[in-house]
Amino acid sequence: MKKFLALILVLVFTIGINAQQSPGKDHSKLNLSCKTCHSCDVPTKSDPCLVICPREKITTVYQKPEQTPELITINQLSDRYGPVYFSHKIHAQMSIMSGGCENCHHHNTSGPILKCNSCHETSRKREDVSIPDLKGAYHRQCMDCHREWSHETGCNSCHTLKKDLKDTKNESLQKKYSGKDHPVIIEPTKLVYETKSDKGKLVTFYHDDHTKKFGLNCTSCHKQESCTKCHDVNNTDKSKNQKVVTKKTFEDQHSNCISCHSKTENCSKCHGEKTLEPFDHGKKTGWALNKHHINLSCAKCHGSKLPYNKLDNKCLSCHKGWNAENFKHSITGLQLDEMHSELSCEDCHTDGNFGIKPSCDGCHDDYSFPKQKPGKLVK
Amino acid sequence: MSGKSRRDFLKSTALIGAGVTGLTTTAKAGPQNILSEDRMGVLVDTTVCVGCRNCEWACKDAHNLPAGNLEDYEDRKVLDTKRRPGTDALTVVNEYSHGKNSSLPIDVKVQCMHCDHPACVSACIVGAFTKHENGTVTWDTDMCIGCRYCMAACPFQVPAFEYDKALNPMIMKCDFCFDRTKEGKLPACVEICPVEALTYGKRSDLIKIARDRIKRNPDKYVDHILGETEVGGTSWMYLASKDFAELEFPKLGKNPAPGVSESIQHGIFAYFVPPISLYALLGGIMWITKRRKELDEEVK
Amino acid sequence: MSHEVHNPVPIKHKYFTPGVIGLIIIAVNGLVFLMGRFFFGIGAVTNLNNQYPWGLWIGVDVAAGVALAAGGFTTAALGHIMHRDEYHAIVRPALLTAMLGYTFVAMGVFVDIGRWYFIWHPLVMWNGNSALFEVGICVMIYLTVLYIEFLPVVTERFIGKVNLPKFLAGFNKPVDKFLRVLDRGLSKTMFIFIIAGVVLSSLHQSSLGTLMVIAGPKMHPLWQTPILPLLFLLSAVSVGFPMVIFESLIASRSLKLKPEMPVLSRLGSMIAPLLGIYLAFKIGDMVIRKTFVYLVDFNTASVMFTIELLFGVIIPLRMFLSPKVLKTPSLLFTASALVVFGVLLNRINNFVVAYNPPYSTESYFPSFGEISVTVGFVAILVLAYRFIVLNFPVISLPSKTAPQTKYTIRGVK
Repeated sequence: MKKFLALILVLVFTIGINAQQSPGKDHSKLNLSCKTCHSCDVPTKSDPCLVICPREKITTVYQKPEQTPELITINQLSDRYGPVYFSHKIHAQMSIMSGGCENCHHHNTSGPILKCNSCHETSRKREDVSIPDLKGAYHRQCMDCHREWSHETGCNSCHTLKKDLKDTKNESLQKKYSGKDHPVIIEPTKLVYETKSDKGKLVTFYHDDHTKKFGLNCTSCHKQESCTKCHDVNNTDKSKNQKVVTKKTFEDQHSNCISCHSKTENCSKCHGEKTLEPFDHGKKTGWALNKHHINLSCAKCHGSKLPYNKLDNKCLSCHKGWNAENFKHSITGLQLDEMHSELSCEDCHTDGNFGIKPSCDGCHDDYSFPKQKPGKLVK
Repeated sequence: MSGKSRRDFLKSTALIGAGVTGLTTTAKAGPQNILSEDRMGVLVDTTVCVGCRNCEWACKDAHNLPAGNLEDYEDRKVLDTKRRPGTDALTVVNEYSHGKNSSLPIDVKVQCMHCDHPACVSACIVGAFTKHENGTVTWDTDMCIGCRYCMAACPFQVPAFEYDKALNPMIMKCDFCFDRTKEGKLPACVEICPVEALTYGKRSDLIKIARDRIKRNPDKYVDHILGETEVGGTSWMYLASKDFAELEFPKLGKNPAPGVSESIQHGIFAYFVPPISLYALLGGIMWITKRRKELDEEVK
Repeated sequence: MSHEVHNPVPIKHKYFTPGVIGLIIIAVNGLVFLMGRFFFGIGAVTNLNNQYPWGLWIGVDVAAGVALAAGGFTTAALGHIMHRDEYHAIVRPALLTAMLGYTFVAMGVFVDIGRWYFIWHPLVMWNGNSALFEVGICVMIYLTVLYIEFLPVVTERFIGKVNLPKFLAGFNKPVDKFLRVLDRGLSKTMFIFIIAGVVLSSLHQSSLGTLMVIAGPKMHPLWQTPILPLLFLLSAVSVGFPMVIFESLIASRSLKLKPEMPVLSRLGSMIAPLLGIYLAFKIGDMVIRKTFVYLVDFNTASVMFTIELLFGVIIPLRMFLSPKVLKTPSLLFTASALVVFGVLLNRINNFVVAYNPPYSTESYFPSFGEISVTVGFVAILVLAYRFIVLNFPVISLPSKTAPQTKYTIRGVK
């Protein structure tokens, strides 16, 4: 493992050194306006008139978090303090929901990942002060998020004074991070939002339903999440009823929902005075899902196109291959007795609609269904 | 007797006039305002500042004020109250609510703005203040008489005075680390700032950079560089995500603070002509009324 | 000389009265706090802070002190430059008031500045852009001029009467000789100083107004105007005669003398036009800058401004227009006192009330110590005035006999 880690570190390092700022010969073919990177109309090699970062739009190299270095040692500027160890992989694993790699690697070309100091100078006293120096850039990267949830800006929250540094090789930290992944995020089942809407204060959101039943990916909703969402030190006590107050515009509030739910649907569909029940196929559509259907993903029947088509309740609309020969009636929970298994389907299901349970009085005068059954109930 | 005294009168008037004109030619002009093209400045980006207060420590450390441990500045409770630069701290950081995001407060470092046309330089009774070529406004404590007119004049209410000292009380304010910048070093606060919320550079470059930042992030910044034009421009300039009035910056016009008073002053004392004219006028009236009275008496 | 009915003499009256004892107590109280200021710093005695660098001492001791001592230059202009000899009776008391007033100003400055031992710095370190420098230099020179103008009173008092203690008795003659030479020299050159005094006064009375112009938006718009220097000069000119009347009537009452009503009435008749000009500029400025809108909001500033203008200018202006007021001592005194009050309040308003700095957590109100020092100074001033008029020929007594010495009237004959 250690060898592997060292290899990655060496690799990243060499790539960093050889990194070119040029995006390559073909960069003009990228689907981009020239103005994304060049400020003048005719950029030349000697005067490319490049605008400063971010130019994340031309980043083309993406790595999976697992392919990236686990731990990065930041020690170019250490004077008063020892080096800072940055658990890159764990951060990268979460970056998918918070802006992606570009969030930190904000100034990259279509080539490989650049080192910070290829743009950010190490000296604060310098000619071109349009972009921050390396110290400023590093601190901004870390503190912009960390201070938001830790509410701390003290140096000691990341740095250790050199004189207090015992473990110089920092094996303990390497051990702490090696092979570790970001803990799995525990999904909430139900969220109730309190809104100011006069159409109904409460909006109930069943997170479970959306991920498991409707099969949404995390990133389909969580795109620019802040780490604070989970990490705020003021909100660590999960047992307490947390109340996060947000100030968003109407559009921002609704954008996540209306990407699936039609905008034109009436408000009361989501807004109510009481918390809403979770989605219930039976109540909503009048067709309760039996044990065979309940575990299916919606798309299995409804197709992946949103909004879903309304289906009829004829079994054969979906189960196109069923016929009298191959259909086992026991699947419905009723194993037909010998007498009835001989009959053809239409003898009992007179109108050919298998969704409606048949009655007995077509043949029998003194029998009624479901009081008397043409067979044995099975589980 | 009366004839003699009249001759005396004329002679003396001429003498006084000559004396006063002589005075004007030898009079030392007030301190010159040198505005170099290359003067330096600092751009404070309040959207970047994290309020770590390291600048406060570095400033005290650089000016031999009791600074304490850098680690003691981590206590953010200090930011609950609004503070002003004083004799014990030449710069302070104040915190304001963001409005939209409660976990990202806005932190604003406050210190002398080092005006291009400083009111203190104009006001100081002994001319102890100097605007230097690199933009710095300094003062000479050895000249200061402690009249505190600079404090009354300053549009940003920056200079502070050691009221508690009976002997040798001093005016104190940020000196833009004049001693450090002379040696080619950065101002102490700029050097220590972890996030480089303070960008030290040529004032003209900083304005371009500030404009560029606003242009590229119109949602993040209000379209206003505080200090670009306020009171004729200042060396320290600010960018912010909300209106500067909400960050307790005084609302100031574009005219230099000392503009009106200096033109009045120069109007009254234009080459000493008005005072001398007044003197001559009064002398004339005196002479005429006296002569009339003498004639009256002769008639009698 | 037929009009020589006024004859300045030392007044014969006992110095100590219950009122004087009271003044002495007030003066001592002031001096105690003054010691506090010099031993423990300005902060120990005053309520001044970094937001309010100037307070009562500048507003009253200096600004109002200078304004109320304007009687000196206005009467000098009237009596000497316009050669209106009928006013000579009041020139000396006015001169004495001005001299003591400016001494009081100088003491106020000395106490208020943090580094008082460097008070001489403006003499050698010049800043022509600074209104304060101009005020400082003019006040210093004018104070000197006032002392020179007062010298003839001293020479007159002692010429022929030099009586040094026994062991110095041998110097009696040379000192007498010196005084005579000094007196002769002064009488020839006095006009230079008199004109200089008027010029210097006009300059620094107006520059005192320029002082606060630089504070710009920190000052309430009701007072902050580019014509502040003109308003200061006009108000100083109009407060000059009322101050002389005010002080003359108090003195004659305290010293059991007959008020100089003919002179004072004539003096009073000149006040209305002066006040009128001042009022016209003040109202005109308000109209042009449209600041009257601030009068609608009810706050300290608007109330103080209204009081200042109504009781300090408009009511006394109406009073001075009435012949009955001019002839009745009590009414004349009331009207004059109102003008004095108005200008005093104007200076306090300009330097303290109107000054509204950013970042002030609480507004400034002078501490007991500050008030004690100021009131103590006024007490000392009154005590000094009383001492001088009892010992030097300042106040004129009506006299039918010809003047006893030829040194009765100093200055320009």
